[in-house]
Amino acid sequence: MFMVDTHVHTCLSPCAELDMHPAALVDAAVRAGLDAIAVCDHNSAENAAAVERAGRASGLAVIPGMEITSAEEVHILALLPNIEAALELQSRVYRALPGRNDENVFGMQVVANEHAEVLGFNEYLLAGATTLEVDKVVSSIHAVGGLAVASHVDREGFGIIGQLGFIPVALPLDALEVSQRTSLPIARASFAPKGEYSILCASDAHELKDVGRAATFMLLEEPTWVELRQALAGQGGRAILGGGRPMEDLALHILDIAQNSIEAGATAVDIDLLEDPGADTLVIQVGDNGPGMDPSTLSRASDPFFTTRTTRRVGMGLSLLAEAARAAGGNLAVDSMPGSGTRVRATFQYRNVDRAPVGDIETTLMVLMAGHPEINFRFRHSVSDRSFELDSRDLCVALDGMNLGAPEGLATLRAAIRQGEEKLATAT
Amino acid sequence: MTVAEAAEKIEGTIVAGAAASNQEIQGGYASDLLSDVMANSREGDLWVTLQKHVNIVAVAQLNALAGIVLVNDRKPDSDTAARAEELNIPIVSTPLQAFDIAGKLYTLGIRGRRQV
Repeated sequence: MFMVDTHVHTCLSPCAELDMHPAALVDAAVRAGLDAIAVCDHNSAENAAAVERAGRASGLAVIPGMEITSAEEVHILALLPNIEAALELQSRVYRALPGRNDENVFGMQVVANEHAEVLGFNEYLLAGATTLEVDKVVSSIHAVGGLAVASHVDREGFGIIGQLGFIPVALPLDALEVSQRTSLPIARASFAPKGEYSILCASDAHELKDVGRAATFMLLEEPTWVELRQALAGQGGRAILGGGRPMEDLALHILDIAQNSIEAGATAVDIDLLEDPGADTLVIQVGDNGPGMDPSTLSRASDPFFTTRTTRRVGMGLSLLAEAARAAGGNLAVDSMPGSGTRVRATFQYRNVDRAPVGDIETTLMVLMAGHPEINFRFRHSVSDRSFELDSRDLCVALDGMNLGAPEGLATLRAAIRQGEEKLATAT
Repeated sequence: MTVAEAAEKIEGTIVAGAAASNQEIQGGYASDLLSDVMANSREGDLWVTLQKHVNIVAVAQLNALAGIVLVNDRKPDSDTAARAEELNIPIVSTPLQAFDIAGKLYTLGIRGRRQV
């Protein structure tokens, strides 16, 4: 399973912050726990190769891309197989891009290398629109072998629905992107109620702090463009599992804690999400049968600077959850003993204005159950006196022992989660 | 006033859907965000826009608009013109800019009717 932010800008985009040079961008992506990013500057790919090189040094996969502005001022993301394709598409875009940049008005367009050195300034009017109509943009992307994604369809300005009223039926888009403003359940219902499109959650970061603010979880063998294409097409056992706002949505906090359990060596994880609007409480509880922690490790577990991992910003997870709980009038408790597992319990005031939204439970369960078919998960979600329970062992039995990460397993799992969650939602 | 009569007053020519150019105009709306036009234009409006994508015909059909005026000498994309012919939506192209078009139509008694 991989966490990917398919839409980040660099200092080349006139509207992006100047400190978004390739090395800093890669650094921010690694800190956010991302496995891959796609670099998508406005109408140009001139910094993509430098980001790719910086990524290679840090173990971050980088997909070259571009955010092209059509003649109708619709933003279309190009996710490209390699730098050569990106440069070929770039020359097509440049031929159709009138005007010259005015730095005082639009901002600087910095071409930089992976050592934070400025190589020059791009002079095209990257903030402008090309003369290519939206269908020509899509066909130009496909002509170089790329994937075409409608950017931030939940935004009025520059989003395809805002600009054109609705998505032209015959437009062969490979996916839709939603920004961090829209949660996946709402996005699915609004933009792809019949599963017409794959949906990517991406940050569209113009500042370092926003990199990975929204991300997509993908079931891949490795985080490459080829596999991303398969995942969007639902082929080869690759799949888009879900997405959202890591470290913000409660559903993704749950995911983070459960992943900590798995990394610590647990083989069974119990998750409870208990919403009780009547009592004004929301409780998240994650228990595991892992090795547990001794008192001194435990005392540091919610310290933001503590992690036993070296590659990811996790460990940060617990401290951020503690912060989220306290902000919403609740608290975080961690019980653990060596040899007897760990139990994390976070409580929130249900109606507190600072209580983060639950987000997309489907994403959490898909990533956990399909991404870790060897682990036994038991999930219980209750709202007042109604509840929905899902046990990954029961599902496996129902599937004659089939792997939940296999294509039929994925479909069954998704259907079971949707059915359960929909019932809960209609009950409230 | 019909779409054909209005076209004449704004130096425009009917470039598609001429068969329906005798449509009576009830009011006017000017916007380039199609989602906004879908939400706020009203039946019988003459719509002034610079968008020429085929979706404009669908929006006009959806809200039963009297016709579409393309500003700044813009011409409809070929699939837009074909669709307009098929659905009988008149499209006018004029060298004038949106501001002047709205001004001229206003003095001729055509009004925006969005409820505020």
